[in-house]
Amino acid sequence: MAAFFYKDRGNNIMDNTRKKKMKKETFWAYAFILIPLCTFMVFTIYPVVSSIITSFQDYKPLGSEWVGFANYISTFKSSLFYKALKNTAVYTVITVPIAILMSFIVSVMILPFRKGIQSFFKGAFYLPAIASGVAMSFVWKWIYDPLPSGLLNSVVRFFGIENQNWLGSSKTAMASLIIMAVFAGLGQNIIIYIAALLGIDPTYYEAADIDGSTFLQKVRYVVWPLVKPTTIFLAITSVINGFQSFQTAYLMTGGGPDNATTMAGLLIFNRAFKYFEYGEACAQALLLAVIIAIFAVFQFKLSANDVEY
Amino acid sequence: MKRKILALLLSAAMAATVLAGCGGSGSGGAETAKTNTSDTNTSNADASDKETEEAGNADSSKEDAAPAPSGEKDVVTALLPPVSATYQDKVVEYIEEFNAANADIEIELTTASWEDMTQKLDIQVNAGSPPDIAFVGSDGISKYLDLGMLVNLNDYLTDELSDFDDAVLNYFRNGDGTYGLPAYCEVQCIGGNKEKLEAAGIDWEGVQKNGWTYDEFREAIKKGVVSDGGSTSCYGFVFACAGVTAKDYFSIFVKNADMPAAFDQDLKYAYTSKKMLAFLEDLRALIDDGSMPKELSSVDAGKRWNMMLTGQTMITGKGLSSFERSAYNNNKLLAEGSADAVENSIPVEYIVLPVPVFEGEQHAQGAVDGYICLTGEKNPDAAHLQNVAKVAYYLASGERAANTCQELYLSPVCDSGREEYAKLDPIADKNEANTACVENLTTQVAQARPDIPAELSAKAIKIEDEVIVPKFQGLLSGEVSPEEMYQAIVDAGHEAFGEDGCVAD
Repeated sequence: MAAFFYKDRGNNIMDNTRKKKMKKETFWAYAFILIPLCTFMVFTIYPVVSSIITSFQDYKPLGSEWVGFANYISTFKSSLFYKALKNTAVYTVITVPIAILMSFIVSVMILPFRKGIQSFFKGAFYLPAIASGVAMSFVWKWIYDPLPSGLLNSVVRFFGIENQNWLGSSKTAMASLIIMAVFAGLGQNIIIYIAALLGIDPTYYEAADIDGSTFLQKVRYVVWPLVKPTTIFLAITSVINGFQSFQTAYLMTGGGPDNATTMAGLLIFNRAFKYFEYGEACAQALLLAVIIAIFAVFQFKLSANDVEY
Repeated sequence: MKRKILALLLSAAMAATVLAGCGGSGSGGAETAKTNTSDTNTSNADASDKETEEAGNADSSKEDAAPAPSGEKDVVTALLPPVSATYQDKVVEYIEEFNAANADIEIELTTASWEDMTQKLDIQVNAGSPPDIAFVGSDGISKYLDLGMLVNLNDYLTDELSDFDDAVLNYFRNGDGTYGLPAYCEVQCIGGNKEKLEAAGIDWEGVQKNGWTYDEFREAIKKGVVSDGGSTSCYGFVFACAGVTAKDYFSIFVKNADMPAAFDQDLKYAYTSKKMLAFLEDLRALIDDGSMPKELSSVDAGKRWNMMLTGQTMITGKGLSSFERSAYNNNKLLAEGSADAVENSIPVEYIVLPVPVFEGEQHAQGAVDGYICLTGEKNPDAAHLQNVAKVAYYLASGERAANTCQELYLSPVCDSGREEYAKLDPIADKNEANTACVENLTTQVAQARPDIPAELSAKAIKIEDEVIVPKFQGLLSGEVSPEEMYQAIVDAGHEAFGEDGCVAD
């Protein structure tokens, strides 16, 4: 009985010590969490809540006025808003699959090289991602020079195609931005894909070799299914980035010609910073956020059922 | 334990770096050049007595303003772009002089590039804490006025306002208020290559003196085209139209189509007039003639100047007086065989030319830029605003105005500026015919319209940005017909102002 008592007491003492230690560790855990939490509250939660409130106001720096749903009504009545949404959807739907497919193909082609050559290609493809958007726009404007002496025009002329007004015609302006976006985003996707490809166990390839698989069969039946989580991650983040796209249109075309390249992001920017209609800009931004969320959830549900993370 | 506290502190410090850059208006950012009297006493020893006296007497009319409490300086903040090539260097000297002469005021300067200027100012305005003084275009005052952020200078300046040319000052007026002081009035027109103009048989001196009609201009630029086997090596006329610069082409030329402003004298929206349709058809015809490149909608400001210097166009737009100096400098580099000269460029003598008249009288486009005074959430008192107005007048007048205008090849728009301008050394190798032409065009600058309410102006600007410019880009690229564009303007005008609020002819 005494032994049991002492044992029990000993357990109690141990429990108390553990609890104290746990309490201490919990305190420190919360203390460390508090810092990013504060940052998150200040820079994410506060702006979101603030923009929800502003979307119901006629914003004025010296005193805003409550206008109810007027900003949302005016947004839904604006034909430019629908045009911008359509442009954004077209841009995203074309850019994302092409960028993912191209980066996958390039990654598979780079992978067999030895490390040094692999790094060279990774660096070369990643270079546009680290270059400033403004610098990149200068390079692309030079490529898209509309006159016959322009670089791309010289190339197409070689194939017997007549001179194109790349950024100045609504027939080619969107395609020009899509080409630019695909090449600009390729590097990042390649880095992620190569990391995923390196994570595939070589025994799968050996087994496929024993079964007599060709290169394309290995890519189709081994590589593609195993990098599916990466593909889904890239697809979702690329779709979100595509819908938020602003910089390319702002720097390259300003949304023209005839609003053929006006994206939702550019429309919101203009509404806020050109016309000072912050209320309507917030309403449009929130509607865009809802659309992006629906797309992301839909995409996730559609493609992620058979993926294990 | 100590380690954990240290780690926590370091994490907190790291998180705090996110906030670097956020700060009160009193703290100086990286670009803030804070100049105060004590720091500049030595440098000011060399400043002429006259300059100091001028700075000290910049305002003497409102003696009744309460002075700052003794020992405390009233800080006046200013956000200024590179108005001219050396402006941002010179303005530091001007401010040092002013601070030395005014013991109770300290000007705190923040400089910004032209690109950042509007964005920086707009963000500060919308946060309710703008600088006291900012340098903007007069066309931007309606949006700040609409927000109730502008200071009416009539309450703080009286005699000083009479220093400025009334017609130019009107650009900063709205209703009965005066919301800014002009630094200059820059005539925006077109310019040609003298050699090519003469080769095409164009009497450019006569055009400078008497102007030209649309038909004369159309025929003249046809003569400037040089084609060989279907490819054009030189166009008659190229105007920068890529992106938002299309707005310049439209707004500079439309003034000469008998529509000097977006509203007529009865405050009816003027662009719904049939004259607009004729104007658009005329502009499109210049491209269809082959006198302008069919890729015009993609030619940006840099490209068209490059085309001018490389002999790929006879006339270019928009043209500013200071382009004469750019061409002159490039000619000098070419003569020296310098690698800094524009690649493949040829010597170009730049000739200022007026915009052709489509209908009605000649109206030049005047870009009037200057200093506006702003208020904010702090709701500054009258004494501070008095000091702000004093600083704004100091910056916009006298030697400051003279130097800025000379660098921009412009004439000052205030008496005190003209007085100082006369004392400056004349510009070397200046084309006097250009000077006379610009002076003549300045007298033809379209009348300012302070009678147009800010609300109407804001709506017109929105139509311009959302309908006119996009459709105009389409018109230039041949995808929108003049009729379609005109109809879009009419529809937008009717929606914004009602049919009764638009001109119908």
